[in-house]
Amino acid sequence: MASKTAAKDIITLRGSAAIVSEFFGYAANSILYNRAVYPEESFARVKKYGLPMLLTKDEGVKSFISNLNAQLSEWLEAGKLQRVVLVIMSMNTGEVLERWNFSIETDNEVVEKGVSREKSDKEIMREIQAIMRQIASSITYLPCLDEQCVFDVLAYTDTDVAVPFTWMESSDAKLIANPQMVKLHSFDTKIHKVNTLVSYKNDEEESDDEE
Amino acid sequence: MMLRTPVPKRARPIEPAPIIESPPTGSDHHRQLAIYEDPPSADPARREPSHEPLQQSEHMLCTYQCRQMVKADFLDALSNAEKQVQDYQSQLAELSDNFRKADEERKTFREKLSYAEQELAAAKGREQALHDQLLKEVNDSHERLKKELESSAKLQTKLENEQNLRKKAESTAASAEDKARELEAKLGHISQSIEKEKKQLNNELVHLKRDSKFSISKITVDLEKMEFRAQSSEKEVELLRKQQEDLQSKFSQCLHQKSELEKKLTSLSFEDDSPKESDILVKHLQEELRNYESEVREARKLKSAHENIELIKEKLLEEKSRRERAELQLPKLHEYEFKINELEDELSAWKLMIQDIPGVSCRDDIRLRISALQKEVIDNLKKLGDVNAHLKQMEVILDKTQLDKQKTETEAVLAKEKADRLEAEVKRMNVMLSAVSEERNVLKTAIEDFKSKNEQAGGNASSSIMQIQELGSSILEREPYIKELEGDLFAQKEINAHQRDEIKSLHDRLNSEARRVKSLERENDRLRSEIFLLESKIGHGDFSAANTKVLRMVNTLAVGNDAKQTIEALQSELQRTKEKLQALEEYKSQSGNSGKMVDSYMSGKVAQLKEQIATLEKREERYKTVFADRISVFRRACCELFGYKIVMDERQRPNGIPVTRFTLQSIYAMNDDEKLEFEYESGNTNIVENSYTSTSEISQQVDIFVRKMNSIPAFTANLTVESFNRRTLS
Repeated sequence: MASKTAAKDIITLRGSAAIVSEFFGYAANSILYNRAVYPEESFARVKKYGLPMLLTKDEGVKSFISNLNAQLSEWLEAGKLQRVVLVIMSMNTGEVLERWNFSIETDNEVVEKGVSREKSDKEIMREIQAIMRQIASSITYLPCLDEQCVFDVLAYTDTDVAVPFTWMESSDAKLIANPQMVKLHSFDTKIHKVNTLVSYKNDEEESDDEE
Repeated sequence: MMLRTPVPKRARPIEPAPIIESPPTGSDHHRQLAIYEDPPSADPARREPSHEPLQQSEHMLCTYQCRQMVKADFLDALSNAEKQVQDYQSQLAELSDNFRKADEERKTFREKLSYAEQELAAAKGREQALHDQLLKEVNDSHERLKKELESSAKLQTKLENEQNLRKKAESTAASAEDKARELEAKLGHISQSIEKEKKQLNNELVHLKRDSKFSISKITVDLEKMEFRAQSSEKEVELLRKQQEDLQSKFSQCLHQKSELEKKLTSLSFEDDSPKESDILVKHLQEELRNYESEVREARKLKSAHENIELIKEKLLEEKSRRERAELQLPKLHEYEFKINELEDELSAWKLMIQDIPGVSCRDDIRLRISALQKEVIDNLKKLGDVNAHLKQMEVILDKTQLDKQKTETEAVLAKEKADRLEAEVKRMNVMLSAVSEERNVLKTAIEDFKSKNEQAGGNASSSIMQIQELGSSILEREPYIKELEGDLFAQKEINAHQRDEIKSLHDRLNSEARRVKSLERENDRLRSEIFLLESKIGHGDFSAANTKVLRMVNTLAVGNDAKQTIEALQSELQRTKEKLQALEEYKSQSGNSGKMVDSYMSGKVAQLKEQIATLEKREERYKTVFADRISVFRRACCELFGYKIVMDERQRPNGIPVTRFTLQSIYAMNDDEKLEFEYESGNTNIVENSYTSTSEISQQVDIFVRKMNSIPAFTANLTVESFNRRTLS
């Protein structure tokens, strides 16, 4: 785990995997709150990354996200995880409306040799903070989700990964045709680099049709 | 002139015959014939022409002996002279041979000289050519340097332009970022104002709700009053109906009695036996009739009242139905109010945005403006990225050109140094050439002198020999110089050849580097386009099935949500119906039969709701049993596989963060106090200290396995093995 030195902190593979999986948990909660997938009153306020973050109080969603985080942490330590995608779909029609794409680049040398890297914890937290702020401000340009929505999580892994019993292999990557894409900031623990990108259904065609 | 009278002889010295040696060149003047000479007095007499004939007569007076002696001497002298002549001839022949040899040597030396002159001329020519070539190369290198400097100056100007562009782009990006920040700040303000307004509206909504609740409660109270009134009126109606029925029956009885009495009266009118009794009867009957008529009137009144009551009942039913419809539409009203509030919030937000955003006059413009701004930002970001990429390319190219420039500068410096060296060498060669030419001139003059001397002297072989010897010695002295010159020429040739090779190799290297730079630039463009394509593919979500597979977690949240929502809705409906049932049952207990109409409607609904409740409760029970079965199976399997009974417990920390606590008890534990406690929070598991873990043995193991090696499974496995060993041994 991370231990403090003078200016930079030592980051191990396990610590980096924990940081990334924790980030994904809080990001998923933030997305569910900001996109109003679940009602506001089902979220509780906590302090994390120097910001007031919202965590769901719904037991089902909580257990889902915690199980997800545990599995992601395991895959990250093995260096097998390539991407995590949070998909928001319409409940009635099942149409994919938004895809929150978190692509992960792993330093294979650390996975193979077990070496550690050095980076300041504060800097990592600053980078994650910037991403969280961007997620919160994404409501300004993302189209309104007027209908009831549900979410799903997809994990892009290496082909040699054993499928856990709570997961299943899916041939449908839940893509959006002709999406609009917005690239957000990224953060780097020197072992895992996470790039965030949101792609959403092009709202202009609908508005043109309406006009 | 031979004198007749010899001079008195001098005593000949007792010596051997004089050895007549071959005379050295031009040195035997004293070996000539001893010519009698007149005494010194004669010489002055000779000098005086008047004394000459006297002397001649004296001379004629010499004796024959003298003549013989003179003849002998003369002959001796002649022989000697002949010998000397022969000697001299032989010497001359030798000298002539020597002269010939010297001449030949001179010729050879002359040839050598001419050859050396030719070689010198050729070397000079070659030097000149080399000099020209060097000058050309120096000029070329100067030109190349100038071109390189010009190109570097151009690149520098380009770099400055690009830097200016980059600064401009950065400034535009900074201004765009500032604008974005301002917009974000404005959005923040807007969101804060929206939140404030939301809070205000929520408060207003709460007040409205309270007011609506009050109004609803009032309405309910009024309704209840109306119900009570209706119930009371129903009761009255029934009473009146009963009374009416009684009265009707009585009326019919009275009518029947009346008819009988009338019959009796008619019959009595004929008889007229007891008029008084009949009058009394009639009076009684009339009174009864009046009573009955009054009762009939009352009954009619009651009937009208009953009809009114029925009308009121119908009105009550209508109002009840209206109330039910209003109650059904109340939640919709809430929803509509909520939507109205949302729309009002949105409108106010849009209005604020319209006021804040320049160039926007109406709501439709906002989207266009925001999309235009977004596009602008995206385009600016793209441009910035392109400019950055281009700038980096230019920086790389500039670095390369600077490196090339440095290389060429060093090469130019080296070439200059070489040129300087070559020039110095050329100068030295020129100096040497001048020296050699001077020596050649000296030699020429010497040769000409020698020639002239040869021509002048003719027989002076010794002087020619001396000159030839001098020439030979000077030529011998000049030979090392000539060898040195030849060596320098050769070295110069080698240096020039080496330089030419170096220059060729440098040219080749330059060309190859230029080709490499172009190929790298092409590859850079290709890679950039590939990166763009890949990023778009990543954004789209494409993946390669050879390297990647897509996994999806089994998500029961949607289904669970639906079920939960239906359950919640049904539960709320159930509660409402229960309350209604309670109210109705209370009313029933109060009224009894008055609520028959309501009972029939409510009972049907109650039955339906009870059925739904029963099915939902059964479903819930089924879910609970299935979950309990599965979880117990899982727990038993975990216990048997890993040797620990695991108890899971959800807790909350003081800061509000939920934490899961796991309590593990080994199946080989000696007592119930041997429990391990772990806290699990968002992927991190930490051991919690308790009385068991604070014992020396366990704390040691915790330090080693958990704290140092950071492995909880190793700790639990070690503990299991130790407990097993302890158990088996005991």
